[in-house]
Amino acid sequence: MKAPKLRFRNIRLLAVLFASSVAAMVSPVTGQSKDHVDLQFWDMIWGGPEYIDAGKALVAQFNQEHPDITASYRSIPWTNWYQTFLTAIGSGTAPDLSTGAGYQAVQLYDQNAILPIDDLISDWKAKGKLDDFLPNTVEILKYDNHYVALPWAIDIRVWYYRKDLLQQANVQPPTNWAEFKAAAQALTKPASDQYGMVAAGDTLGEHLLLTLMFNNDGGLFTADRKLDLASDRNMEALKYLGDLVQAKTVYPASAGYSGEDALSAFTQGKGALFLTTPGLRARFPKLADQIGILNPLVGPHGDQGTIYWVNNIMLYKQGKHPAESKIFLEWWSEHEKDLWTKGHVTQLPTRKSFASDSYFQDNPETKFILQNYVPIAKTTATHATGIFPKLNDVEGEGALQTLSQSLLQGKDVDGSVKTAADRLRSIMED
Amino acid sequence: MPLKVMQPYAASAPKADWFVRTRVQPLPYLLLLPSLALIFLIELYPFINGVSFSVHKGSLLGTGPFVGLDNYLRLFNSADFYNSLWFSFVFAFCNVAISYLIGLALALFLNLDFPGRGICRVALLVPWIVPAVVSIVSWKWLIADRGGLVNIFLNSVGIGPIYFLSDSGWAMVAVIVIKIWRSFPFMMLSLLAALQVIDRTLYEAGKIDGANGRQLFWYITLPHLKNISIIQAILMTIWSINDFETPYLLTQGGPSNATENLILLSYRFTFGRNDVGRGSAVAILTLVVLMILSTIIMRQQRKAV
Repeated sequence: MKAPKLRFRNIRLLAVLFASSVAAMVSPVTGQSKDHVDLQFWDMIWGGPEYIDAGKALVAQFNQEHPDITASYRSIPWTNWYQTFLTAIGSGTAPDLSTGAGYQAVQLYDQNAILPIDDLISDWKAKGKLDDFLPNTVEILKYDNHYVALPWAIDIRVWYYRKDLLQQANVQPPTNWAEFKAAAQALTKPASDQYGMVAAGDTLGEHLLLTLMFNNDGGLFTADRKLDLASDRNMEALKYLGDLVQAKTVYPASAGYSGEDALSAFTQGKGALFLTTPGLRARFPKLADQIGILNPLVGPHGDQGTIYWVNNIMLYKQGKHPAESKIFLEWWSEHEKDLWTKGHVTQLPTRKSFASDSYFQDNPETKFILQNYVPIAKTTATHATGIFPKLNDVEGEGALQTLSQSLLQGKDVDGSVKTAADRLRSIMED
Repeated sequence: MPLKVMQPYAASAPKADWFVRTRVQPLPYLLLLPSLALIFLIELYPFINGVSFSVHKGSLLGTGPFVGLDNYLRLFNSADFYNSLWFSFVFAFCNVAISYLIGLALALFLNLDFPGRGICRVALLVPWIVPAVVSIVSWKWLIADRGGLVNIFLNSVGIGPIYFLSDSGWAMVAVIVIKIWRSFPFMMLSLLAALQVIDRTLYEAGKIDGANGRQLFWYITLPHLKNISIIQAILMTIWSINDFETPYLLTQGGPSNATENLILLSYRFTFGRNDVGRGSAVAILTLVVLMILSTIIMRQQRKAV
């Protein structure tokens, strides 16, 4: 008869322990006032482990300087990032504020999840604080007459080349499309498994198409956001890529390559010219002397351009403390330089004061990109001025990736563009 | 004089009579109820939800307005749908047919008595045992254009590198071959189990009657494998049509959507395009396709053997 009693006692003891644990978890932290505010800040992983450390250190500094607010830092991996945010919003557990993909803020705004920051922008405009941002970076984030997010970084694509391979082939770094084509031909040596250019069939392939289109004053959209893929300038740009493939100057495996595969081929000297994200010299210090950046290419009609995204920080309507979130946003925006100097983000800052820091100006690579590439960069929305929600679907659906894979396989340009245009039209009609 | 006390019993008598008359035992059904309730919750609720999503214009944040059959009609007018349907058929047909033939050949071989048979059986099960991600990523390395063992071998025999995952045709071949490699051990194992329960005396009797090896296989072995073959074909068809990991991990459906099956199309609509309605419509149509295929396979194989 003793055993059941003992078991019952144990159960009671466990119940008491469980209840006290739950109570301890849900009770407010001792010593905090009633007005104390807890903020949830979700930050995408924009760099290596040192980035997360830098982010956490910044949040700790904010918490120290603001005793009535405790911000919690949470790193969000890029894998399934969209589902992560949608699930959180759908379940009512969205953060107070977050960083995110370039078009995330407008798309979530369209789904009534984003809190505009018009008051903050008006205040900064009055105080002249907006002058510290690179041209157009704030206005790009205006949608439906509201500022839906605050810019913090620029993700851009630039042309790199292998100095050693160009020297061996006695080729000067190309400056326009004609020279680029000639250089690619001179650099192609199939017997040595070396090609003029290497590309990828994933999102980087999409970026290559957009860069070529922008480089020819083309773009996916008209000024009134109508789809314009098959415009004359776009077709000229896409046919240019098709010609490079037909001339067998593009690494033959490019269509099936991921960005990392293409980068690996570039570092192995399989391709001499490569469009990618900045920061190659830092990533490959042993190759740094052999890697150069091309001047932005001049298209056949004298145009220049590349693709970029203005990454941003947004506030969520589900957040319970909008006033404190704006305090955090303002503080973060003004103090986030450590994300580069300590966190080593490869993206570029949107603040002129950060960009003029010796960290960027003493680095010839970032200095060159800031001076030469950023001023000519355009968003996927081009020729429309601001970004809009459909851009997220356009990029996520992969129609342009498929188009890049078709062109890199040497398929018919007209037919491939028609297929892609139909897919894009179907997205826009939804 | 009839007894009044019999009245209450008479009122409940039809129920008891029904159980007695039909000899149905209620207890086993009562014991099954909890499991059935769970199955309905796990299977039926998502299915009904999926059907509901497929007739709404929904996003990942909500069901959206009712659009009737619009999602289905738009799919029927979409080249992407037919492309995915075609690849799904090719993928399933090649996988079922070839993995069955390889599995049958290996099962017949392993049914023989020879030294090292146990080791062979275990070794041939490896593709089935290894987690899908490990085997598919390993294959991706093997067929890589730079440093992949397959291309190193092809180069050594004078056949230039083949860009398996960068050409639409070769990518289809690669995805199908790797799926077959992952599938044949299941076929082999099931067929081997079926072979081992065939009564040996049937073969002895056949030999006495003068049957040769081909006749023994055709008239004794194959008929005994009929039932397991039908089950294998149906299961493998379902697994092939529903396969997400093989094309996704190898090619993500590319290049140029050449290896995009119905499941990847559903994924693209739902998560790439935030169009849950059309993603669900693809999933429901996939279910219909599977039901039709399973019925056809069952009927054909029952007729054939």
